[in-house]
Amino acid sequence: MGDIGPNWREVFINYTVTARDAIGVSHTTMRSDDDRESDHLTEITYTRLLHRWNLPEAQANLWFMGGVGELRGADHEADSNWGRTAVTPGFQADYETTRLYLSALYRLYRASSVNHDYAAVRAGFAFFEPHYEQTQPWLIVEARSMYGLSDRPEITPMLRLINRSYFIEAGVNNFGQPRCNFMLIF
Amino acid sequence: MRTLLFLLLVIGGAAHAAQTVKAHVNGMVCAFCAQGIEKKARALPQTEDVYVNLKRKIVAVQVKEGQTLSGDTLKSLVKDAGYDVVQVETVDDTTAGIRARMEHE
Repeated sequence: MGDIGPNWREVFINYTVTARDAIGVSHTTMRSDDDRESDHLTEITYTRLLHRWNLPEAQANLWFMGGVGELRGADHEADSNWGRTAVTPGFQADYETTRLYLSALYRLYRASSVNHDYAAVRAGFAFFEPHYEQTQPWLIVEARSMYGLSDRPEITPMLRLINRSYFIEAGVNNFGQPRCNFMLIF
Repeated sequence: MRTLLFLLLVIGGAAHAAQTVKAHVNGMVCAFCAQGIEKKARALPQTEDVYVNLKRKIVAVQVKEGQTLSGDTLKSLVKDAGYDVVQVETVDDTTAGIRARMEHE
């Protein structure tokens, strides 16, 4: 899986241990708007489905996700480098039908003297009812903030193509920068 | 042409007298969700074919000739994948017949 944008670049692999638990490894690069600071986080992650509501026409989920790893930072202006232990606990809630998607995520990204907490909300709709074997297009709009990296919220409308074994999203944010997300299932 | 194809599939399905276990699954709203169920169902030794209909929330597993698949086995498989079966039935039909009927309606 990956989330590739100018300030936030995240690539991770998850292994599903049970229907509710997954472990993984992740690498995230966080860059400030002014390009003065860039941090690299490599962590071991754990994702837990805390609760799922299986409704007749919808699905709703509450997730915990968290990681522990090493955050390496660079302040280009001060010409300094450092490494610290980081923890990244967070929660996500989502609601989805065959035509509608809503989610909210809040995740801490903390290390000694570092706070890059991340918040995101997403809403979207599918252009038509899905056929299982066909690729389904969606329009998804995401608003997110990355504390300490950008003073302004980033808003990105994205076209999502979802299939049985992959999804890909691509769009341009409110700063005119391209973004791309993808997920593959094996 | 579509009607003819539909009739051929329905007649063909009945002629083989194949058995299919059909489950109505709550929460199965996306292809990502359903592929986990399909993968597990295809891995069953009794499985001949699997049909998934997201709009109707249906998973249908056609059983190989001479073999049996209980509704409880399919229920348990879907539950293990994280979803709920609200109704399960065994019908004398193929997945192709069920597909043709559902997509024709």
